[in-house]
Order: sequence, then structure tokens, then C-alpha cells
Amino acid sequence: MSDTCSTCGTELETPLCCTSCGALFELQGRPTAHELFGLPNGFAIDLHDLRKRLRRFGRCLHPDFFATAEPRLRELAERNSAALNEAYEVLADDARRADDLVRRLGGPGEDTERQMPQEFLLEVLEWNEALEEARAGGDDAELDALEATLATRRADTLTEVTRLLDPLPEAGAPELTEVRRHLNALRYLDKTLVQIRELRLERANTR
Amino acid sequence: MAFIELDVLNNSPSALALGIDLGTTNSLGALWKDGRPIVLHSEGEAGNVPSVVYFPEQGPPVVGHAARRLAMFDPAHAIYSVKRFMGRGLAEVADDLADVPCPVSETANGVIQFEMRGRKYTPQELSSLILMKAHDQACRALGGMEITRAVITVPAYFDDAQRQATRDAARLAGLDVLRIVNEPTAASLAYGLDEKQQGVVCVYDLGGGTFDVSLLSIEDGVFQVLSTSGDTHLGGDDFDRALATVARAELEREVPALAATAGRPGAFSQTLRLAAEKCKIALSQAPEGELHVSLPESGIQWRRRFTRVEFDALTAPLVERTLDACRRALADAKLTPQDIDEVVLVGGSTRMPGIRARVEQFFGRKPHIELNPDEVVALGAAVQAHVLVGGTRDILLMDVTPLSLGMETMGGAVAKIIERNSSVPCQATEGFTTYADNQTGIDFNIVQGERELAADNRSLGRFKLTGIPPLPAGMARVAVRFHIDADGLLTVTAKEESTGATSRIEVQPMHGLTDGEVETMLAEAYAHAQEDFDARRAADLVTELGTMIHATERGLGNGGAELDRETRLDIDETLERARAAQANSGDDAKALQHARDELERATLPLAAVLMDGVAKSALRGRTLGEI
Repeated sequence: MSDTCSTCGTELETPLCCTSCGALFELQGRPTAHELFGLPNGFAIDLHDLRKRLRRFGRCLHPDFFATAEPRLRELAERNSAALNEAYEVLADDARRADDLVRRLGGPGEDTERQMPQEFLLEVLEWNEALEEARAGGDDAELDALEATLATRRADTLTEVTRLLDPLPEAGAPELTEVRRHLNALRYLDKTLVQIRELRLERANTR
Repeated sequence: MAFIELDVLNNSPSALALGIDLGTTNSLGALWKDGRPIVLHSEGEAGNVPSVVYFPEQGPPVVGHAARRLAMFDPAHAIYSVKRFMGRGLAEVADDLADVPCPVSETANGVIQFEMRGRKYTPQELSSLILMKAHDQACRALGGMEITRAVITVPAYFDDAQRQATRDAARLAGLDVLRIVNEPTAASLAYGLDEKQQGVVCVYDLGGGTFDVSLLSIEDGVFQVLSTSGDTHLGGDDFDRALATVARAELEREVPALAATAGRPGAFSQTLRLAAEKCKIALSQAPEGELHVSLPESGIQWRRRFTRVEFDALTAPLVERTLDACRRALADAKLTPQDIDEVVLVGGSTRMPGIRARVEQFFGRKPHIELNPDEVVALGAAVQAHVLVGGTRDILLMDVTPLSLGMETMGGAVAKIIERNSSVPCQATEGFTTYADNQTGIDFNIVQGERELAADNRSLGRFKLTGIPPLPAGMARVAVRFHIDADGLLTVTAKEESTGATSRIEVQPMHGLTDGEVETMLAEAYAHAQEDFDARRAADLVTELGTMIHATERGLGNGGAELDRETRLDIDETLERARAAQANSGDDAKALQHARDELERATLPLAAVLMDGVAKSALRGRTLGEI
């Protein structure tokens, strides 16, 4: 971030506010999640550093510190805080961060690239069957096994996504289509993992 | 007599803000003072304001301890646990309505109304009366200083309509609400102050009518909520009801005549409920408790002993429901019970030994109970109020929205806009387009909840988007922005992107008051203010007169013999009139004031007699009431 604060001249960490003098700024245009956090564009992220930035910026622009300020400033704190939180959700989650990068590099959206490899579809059928069996049988061991399989599969997919996105490919590169397919697979995996979770909660409940 | 020393009075009231816990059973105010939050109550008074409203035959509604006492004798004119009805429609609270002793109806926007003594009251209005009382009590503890800014707490699991209703209640009470804070989060603030602690904390908050569980990470003074879950319809009341149900069944078996009255809401239910509550509290102190139902008019004195084991078995399903919510919160935060560093118990209902044991077993560690579970939420609210008035930047609270926000799609399903447990403030933008040529409006339904079908979630209301410029079908591009603010309240704005025209959004709230309705209520309250003021003055005068009568009687016993006949006669007659005024002029401030002034005049000679030489000169001109 090369911009400086219009109030105190300090180099800005984020276009949302000045962590040095506490000034808040109206956002110009649509900064990316990376820009809002003052981070270079890229897939790799240091979660610990990200959380530290969230806390540092939060201390500067959270609406709690503007509760008795004039309405305009109060409203700006609300908006900038919401923008910061929205960006945090994108950056902190591997799949959402990858999705954001694919979009910005002109890659296909989740609805335009719907092709999935045959072998993945076969796997899906297998998992569905396993889930149904676990549901009917009430056996925790089956559920555990399925969850472990899916978790491994999820980790592998993310490794692939990382390999394809780090370093970042050129805008419009064919790798982006590949990443999109992996992200679609992730969405499916996560949906099934949520179903497993719900089933577990249900069982804990009836016990 | 206030116990707050003077230095706090030197602070300007505008630099201070109260923390108020608006509870289902009790409400309480607190303030930050000398580096820590303190509960505000006058000496010799209990700190809490029971959230009970009683409607006397004449005069304004009575709130708090007095209402609770009056309700014991006349349960048909009292409303308890009004918080359960905030932001709800009749159909949603059918269970709770069984304990309401008066006719209920619904406004056009689905706001419940209770009819008492020929007037209708919304839950917002009743809550505003409770808030006023809590505020009044807090201000009296501060020697009459008026602090109008406040932080009000709500259950974390409250939805938009319930939060909005709370905000409206505070507005009706004349309070300037700086923030709506979630109860478990507030509690964590009160706990997190003592040690500079780090780690993951679980707050288990079982109040009178609601249950919340929140998981927070605390680091560098930042209290970040990771997830929250709960049930806005599960609390101590339900434990009372479990006992009352057993008692009712047995009692009706023994006295069949009662069964005829049982289906009817009202006095019998209230009596049972209070008896059950007493028994529950006894069971927290001892392994056995008695449930005593007294119905003098039916000549019934019924007693039944419950053991703790029996009670725990009876209420186990309720405790399990709280643990379900805990499991859900843990799963959402991707944590297991072993990851939790500290467990904190909040809410009067966590005094039940059965709950403490089960929570300890679930998390595998002893929960914290150092702070009074009835006070910790108000104390935390005072901490947050201190932050909000600029008292410190060392503490930052980052909370979440408890429920997912979604929009009803064509097929009646829900398209998620904002996921539950997103940090607030948060925002999302959705694009809309028109499906007909020259279409200038779009209607949509916004819901809160986790269910797949829109109909299974809570509708926040119908949103009507108007002012779209007439364009061919599919050409208009309206960006609708959803913003959930730090209070957890939703605002929706819209903009047509191809022309830049600002579209208008009209909201038909569901189970909520419109701005116009709040304005009308405020205007009415203002009109009633003089009446209410007189009534309060009358109440104060009745008390004062009582004190004076008592003092005069005592004085006559000590020094009456020394008075001349005429003076004595005058005092006796005036005293008689004063007694009559105290007994009969309950709401006539003028008559009471007259009786008080007369008694003061007549007793001057008595006061003089009662003083010996030195005191006489020192106290010359003083009245009996003053010494």
C-alpha cells in the first residue's frame, strides 16, 4: 500500500482507516479483499498475521469507538467494519480465497464451469451410498470412516488448488478452469461433511 | 439513601452510560465506576427489578417488587416474563399464553397486545415500563443523576424482530440506546476483566426464559465471538413448568373440581407457577423441596415433596436441549469440548446443582461461578457502555449474527445471503433484475434461520423495492445491499446500477412496530406523563404520610402528656384525617399533600415538646418528619 494518510501523512496499511491517527476513509471504487487487508495479491496467507491485522484495524474502525460520534462518522465506521469483516471471511477461508482469485483473474464462475471428471462423479455416488448406509444403520464407525475419507479428499483437493494458484497464474490461464473444477468438488465435499455433522448432532440429541 | 460516593457525581451524566440487563424474570442496571463495573441499587433495596407488571384498578401500571407482591394477591392482573413475547406473534407463543391471565390479540403487523383494565399493551410497551423502572432505580442509586444513555442486553440468539422490539421498548422508555449487546458476550466482558486472560471461553447462559451459549476467543483484550447458539424459548420458566405440570396433574386428581378451572388461563396457573418456582429454588439449596399450593378461596392447602433426583429426572430433557445448542456452537466453531479453556455459568437458572454437574461433565472441567449469575450480564453491559462512551480502547468486542439471513426464491426455498456466525457488522449485496418490460417494482421476502424452506424460517417482513426506471425485461440491474449492524439489526438499501437511480425499499415488518406506531406511543406516553407523574407523587406521599403517622403516634406516646388539651385535640383530629387520607386517597396527590401539610402543621408543638433545651434551639422550626 503506497497511499499515505490525508490527515497525518503516515503510510496507510489499509484504505479503510489510518491505524496511526485513527482517521476513517470512504472507500473509492471496489478494493479487493487483499487490498483491504494491505496484503499482496496471492493465494498463500499467514492466518496468524491476518487475525492480527483484523484486530489492529478493528481497534481503529469498529463502530463501538464511534458510538457517540456524529451520524456520518458512525455510519462510515459501520460500513468500513462490514467491508473489513467481509474481506476477512474471504481471506480466512481457503476455498473462498481461491474463488475470489479465480474470478478476479477472469476464470470461469461456479455456474459456468459445471463439468466434473467422470471419476469424481463415481466417487460422489460411492459417498452418497455410504452416507445413506450410515444413516440407516446408525453405526458411528461407518460415519467416522466416511468423514475421514472426505477430510483426506478435501485436504488433497486444497493441495491441488494451492499448487495451481501459487504462484498466481496469468489472467485467463487454463489453470483457472482446473481450479474452478476443484472448487466445485470442494463445495460438494463440504456439503456432505455438513450432512455428516448434522447426522452426528441428531444422534447426540436422541441419545 | 445512595451509597455511591460523590466523585462519580462530578462526572457529567452525558459522559456516562448505563448497562441494563432487561431479563425475563429480573432486570438490573450497572455502571462503570473507579475502574470496574458496579450494580446500581439504593441501600436497603434489592438490586434487581422483577420483570413483572401489575395493573391496579386505577392509576398507572406498577412494576418490580411492588408488582410482584401485588401479583401474589391478585394474579389475574399481572403479567410475567413479557420478554418471551417480544417480536413474536401469537401462534409462536401458544405455550406461554397459557400463563397469561388476560385477553390477548394481535395488531395488523402481528404484534401481540395484552388487554388489562380496558387498555391494550404491546410487549414493547410493557418492556419499556420495566426499563423505566430499572433506569429509575439506577438513577436513584446515583443520587438522582439522570443518565439517559444506555447499553441494553438481549439473548445472543434473538432474531432481528426480537432485537428491534427491544430497541423500540428502550426508545419508548426515553433511553438513548448506544448499543444492543448479547448477554453471553456481556458476561464474558465482566469475567474477562480480572485476569488478562487468553484462550477460548464458553459462556453457558440459562436465564429465566432464554438459553444462549457463546464461544469466544480472548486475545489482547479483543473478545471475538466464534459462534453462538441457543434457544429463545428455553429457560428457568420451563423448569418451573415441569414441576407445575406434575403438581397440577396430581392436584386435579385429588380435587376434581379444580380440573374444570384448569383449562382456563389465569389465577390458578399463576399460583401453581409461583409455588413451583419456590420449590425449584428450595431444591437448589437442599436435596428436598416442598411445593405448597395455597388456594384459600377453595380451601385448599396442598403440599408435595420433591427430591433433587426426581427433579433432575423431570428436567433432564430440558438440560439436554441446552447441550444440543452447545454441540452446535462447538461444531460451528470447529472445536471440541476439550478445546475450551474456561466455562462460565451465567443466569440465575445455572444455580441448579443438576445443571452445574451436567455442564461440568460435558466440558470436562469445573465451570466458573465466581460472579453472581444474576448480576454478571448487567456488569458486562456496564463495561461495554464504558467502551462506547470512549472510556477505553483496551477492550474490543467483536460479535456475530446468530442466524443466517436468506431470501425466499421462486420455489419457496432459501438462498443464503449472510451465513450465521458471521462477524458483525457484515454486509452482502444481491443483484436483482426485472422479468417484465417496464417493471418498476420487485417484492421479496427476507428470512432468518437455518431451514431449507422459507416457510420454516422466520420472515423479517415483505420488502417492496420501488422506483426502478422502466426498462425492457432483464435490463434493470438493481443492487440490494444487506447490512447487519453492530446491534445485529438489518438494514436494506437498493440502487439501480444501469441508471444510478436510488430505488426505495419499503418494509412491512413482521411482529414489529412501525416507526409511526412508536411515534404514536411516544406521544401518548408524553400525554400520560403528567398523569403518571401525579400517580408516582401520590405513591411517594402515601409512604411519607405513613412514616409521619407512625412518628406522630410514637411522639404522642413519649410527649403527649405535656401538650395542652386543645393542641392534643388538634393533633388527634389531624392524625385521624391523615390516616383516612393514607388509606383512601391512594391516587389523589392533592388530597394527600394537604393531609401531609396539615399533619406537619399540627405536630409542630409536639415536636417542640419532644426536644430538650439544647436540641430545642438547634432544631427550632424543624418539623417532626425532619428529625
